[in-house]
Amino acid sequence: MEFRDYYKVLGVERAASADRIKAAYRRLARKYHPDVSKEPNAEARFKEMQEAYEVLKDPEKRAAYDELGANWKAGEQFRPPPDWGSGFEFSGGAGRAGGAGHAGGARRGAGRSGWSGAGAEDGGFAEQDFSEFFSSLFGGGSPFARGGGGAARDHHARVGLELEETYRGTTRTLELRRPEVKPDGSVELRTHTVRVTIPPGVTEGQLIRLAGQGAPAAGRGQAGDLYLEVHVQPHRLFALEGRDVTLTFPVAPWEAALGASVTVPTLGGSVEMHIPAGAQSGQRLRLRGRGLPGQPPGDQYVQLKVVLPPASSPQAKALYEEMRGKLDFDPRANLSR
Amino acid sequence: MAGVTHRLEAHVLGEGDWIGATEICRLCWLDLGAVMELAELGVVAPRATPPGEWQIPATALPRLRVIGRLMRDLGVNVSGAALALELLEARRQLERRIRALELLVSDH
Repeated sequence: MEFRDYYKVLGVERAASADRIKAAYRRLARKYHPDVSKEPNAEARFKEMQEAYEVLKDPEKRAAYDELGANWKAGEQFRPPPDWGSGFEFSGGAGRAGGAGHAGGARRGAGRSGWSGAGAEDGGFAEQDFSEFFSSLFGGGSPFARGGGGAARDHHARVGLELEETYRGTTRTLELRRPEVKPDGSVELRTHTVRVTIPPGVTEGQLIRLAGQGAPAAGRGQAGDLYLEVHVQPHRLFALEGRDVTLTFPVAPWEAALGASVTVPTLGGSVEMHIPAGAQSGQRLRLRGRGLPGQPPGDQYVQLKVVLPPASSPQAKALYEEMRGKLDFDPRANLSR
Repeated sequence: MAGVTHRLEAHVLGEGDWIGATEICRLCWLDLGAVMELAELGVVAPRATPPGEWQIPATALPRLRVIGRLMRDLGVNVSGAALALELLEARRQLERRIRALELLVSDH
């Protein structure tokens, strides 16, 4: 695994005070928070920062991290020392291990990511809180994970869906990593592959609950749940708002002027639509129930865009000249009032 | 080590689902006081039951989760997070509008 330079991630010196570290984290968090930021890769950067802050804000973890020495470079191949964690005393207060999920409790500042996992190339995701580097040093099985309370924990992850997938429903294969205690008492991370059926009609920000797929409680208690937060990828043609979709639809001037029957793409396939005579560019027509499924289903709005044919041939020029000569039309009539 | 593949049924929290106060706190990284304050601010409209037994429609969860994350990660208070949410929503609305207008005037 690769070494992570947490000081570099937060842009602070190794000797930085706790206040300085907190200020650096707050400043960067404001810039890269996925709910707010427009920065590219904001989510990945934010997760890195959360991980760095999780270690550097905690005097015990920070001291242990510093023990690794100052000579490591970010990205360098790393393996935890065999005696890792020995020689430290742990306060082990409830919540110190950063559990995100004590039922009903306030978890502000608990620190663990609400953004675990991310959309991967195939649209699935790998459910994990922090990097392998973090897990090997401070995760389940390490001395730093003691005192987490042993309660079941919910896990939260984002799942990116294409608009067509939200319309038709889809399946996702998820790889869930969770620590399991072996008979000899040691802990190993086991990967479970699960296939999830996502029904049609999920919308932006909506939550999907997978019961019992969160972190198990200590002993034989019931496991927490896994929550997937839906994020719909921008679409080439359709803009999504709630369950409604909007399509910008080019029409010829004569179709707008005279009315026309046209074939319009929708998420469920092409449909025939009538453009009323005298339609204008920017006018919105509604195809009821052609948005995302639901109770009630969304609508599709068709925003007309009148496109002028180029006057690039003698025939086209002649037609424009004929219109100029025969039509009593002043597009700037409103300006002279 | 890879385990076997299980098939799971997903439950989408949506229209018709009502979420109790304890679960809202758990799902949105909020405490009950913050949820009560958000109700006072009009951000959520709980069913009229005692605050400890409030229920909120699941459709409110996306907004509450943004508020919970902003409070947790940026250290803002309830009013600040609610204001940020409203401004973010207004920004998104304007971006959509700008995009639609750009499409109207673009060559494509």
